[in-house]
Amino acid sequence: MQLKLRSLFSLSLMVVAAYAAITAWRWSFKTSLFPLATGIPLFVLAAAQLILELFGRDETTSGPAVELELSTHVDPALARTRVAGILTWIAGFILLVFLVGFPIAVPVFIFSFLMLQSRVGWGLSLSLTAVAWLCFYGLFQWLLNLPFEEGFIQSLLGI
Amino acid sequence: MFDALINGLLLVLQWKAFSLMMVGMGLGFVVGLLPGIGGAATLALMLPFIFKMSPAEAFAFLLGMHSVAATTGDITSILFGVPGEAISAATVVDGYPMAKNGEAGRALGAALMSSLMGALIGALVLALAIPIVRPLVLSFGSPELLMLALMGIACITSLSGLGARGQIRGFAMGFLGLLLSTIGQERQSGALRFDMGLMYLWDGLDLVPVLVGIFAIPEIIDLAVRGTAIAGERQPENLQAGVVEGIKDTFRHFWLVVRCSAVGVFIGILPGAGGGVAQWVAYAHAVQSAKDAKDRERFGKGDIRGVLGPGAANNSKEGGELIPTVAFGVPGGGAMGILLGGFLIMGLTPGPDMLTKHLALTFSMVWTLAIANIITVLLCLALLGHLAKLTYIRGGLIIPFVLFLVFVGSYTANGQIADLIVTFIFGSLGYLMVLFGWPRPPFVLGFVLGKLVETYLFISVSRYGFSWLSHPVVLVLIFLTGLVIAYPFIQERRSRKREGVGAT
Repeated sequence: MQLKLRSLFSLSLMVVAAYAAITAWRWSFKTSLFPLATGIPLFVLAAAQLILELFGRDETTSGPAVELELSTHVDPALARTRVAGILTWIAGFILLVFLVGFPIAVPVFIFSFLMLQSRVGWGLSLSLTAVAWLCFYGLFQWLLNLPFEEGFIQSLLGI
Repeated sequence: MFDALINGLLLVLQWKAFSLMMVGMGLGFVVGLLPGIGGAATLALMLPFIFKMSPAEAFAFLLGMHSVAATTGDITSILFGVPGEAISAATVVDGYPMAKNGEAGRALGAALMSSLMGALIGALVLALAIPIVRPLVLSFGSPELLMLALMGIACITSLSGLGARGQIRGFAMGFLGLLLSTIGQERQSGALRFDMGLMYLWDGLDLVPVLVGIFAIPEIIDLAVRGTAIAGERQPENLQAGVVEGIKDTFRHFWLVVRCSAVGVFIGILPGAGGGVAQWVAYAHAVQSAKDAKDRERFGKGDIRGVLGPGAANNSKEGGELIPTVAFGVPGGGAMGILLGGFLIMGLTPGPDMLTKHLALTFSMVWTLAIANIITVLLCLALLGHLAKLTYIRGGLIIPFVLFLVFVGSYTANGQIADLIVTFIFGSLGYLMVLFGWPRPPFVLGFVLGKLVETYLFISVSRYGFSWLSHPVVLVLIFLTGLVIAYPFIQERRSRKREGVGAT
């Protein structure tokens, strides 16, 4: 028996389902009916999957039928580094939006990504950033008039 | 009746109405391409502009915009794996792998042509069905609608995994989607569920950040891992030939397109089911139509039928949704609810008047759906060459732009930073699901249908106890659901038997 990363996913689903079912148990019938009707089967199915992963034979039919396939030709160690890298960029973008708001975060993010991650030259990076900013300002702010909140820093400084 | 049909056409072809339809189409084109910003949201934004228009102009403007957004939403789904519209998610499953295989032109050609056919079929059905559909809609109560929703989930779930373990994972994901849809205030009593003390969760998780995250982020991560263009290192395809091939594919699988259009119309007619459901059920039907288990394995890896089915259903459902909206004032979906607002602004009352006094106006809607889609598809076909070239641009240049659009799109759901965090969380979850072989489509369908299923369940149990299970239509739907679940196993057994006979 070996607890693989894959099994941890099944285990997490069991925990989520168990939490949902136990929490819902204390609610009124009306409120708890649907969470229980979905949480309990989810727990059973996740448990069955976990048991099959740990004690069953290897799967003969591999992969899902109706799903996307991730690229497999990249070295796993490099793939892991790249996954961590892109997730960090995404988290950084969200943090930037929180701190300074979309109007500043969008050009800053696009320019830094192009320069530091994609290693594109100054000229192209600046041009593409300008295109993105124009698209953001022209389309989202001017044409669609979507409201964008100011960032945490601006509200802190009262600007 | 024929006079009204011609008068309806003339109403749309008046220069002012036609110009406004073109303006609406331009807006719909852009909105459809932008991830997360739905046609419904744009309809709501544009509603204040119709006050000074005549009813024919207003509906040409609004419907032109709405019907085009559904068509162009498929473009980003295919090119970047990012659903341009919440209702275009199913196109990602086979459309994006086709783009990765260097067949973006073919996928786009097929998506656009099937969309056009779907829209025309939807418009035709709308024109024919208005007088006869009333008894059908009225015969479906909450129990029947509940069973229909469950059948939709069973359809996509049973097709999402190979073998018994695949089925377990598929159904688990369906239940997870249903469970997460319960977050927030319970509709009947107002009690809070799983809100974790966060006011953001009181209204539940919004569909846009969840859907955009779960589909877009894994694609972006994979693109970053590959370090190439979306179409990899392949030589650019002969786009013209690819597009023509895609158009031919639509006619090669003509009956599949017709059947999926019918699915779209039917689901569109049912109040509340919505376009996302129509696309997934049509996709499930396309997979069900595979000859055997081996043929079925091609889905998800870039099978043209997986693009044709959802493309057709996505647009045919517009006609279907208009039927209950116009005839009974019961909106077929969220966007139609907003359109109903347009009726009230224009001083019109949906119902019998729309089928008698204002019949020409009703037919002008049919014509708008048809004309707007024909113009859009012709325009898109002319631009496809440039659009498909995007898949050959290096990933490093595409990723920041796609991320920017994804997060701006998600932010428009509630205008809160929490929307971005939800997108990130569900994006990471989506990546883990793909990595470990847990299918995303059943999760999405469960999540989309969750609130509806719960409401129907509650009404059914409150009104009928458990006797609703013995309603004749419910029994038929239960039987069909069982058949849908068993079908892959029956198909697998048959093909094994055939192989056994072949070997001896």
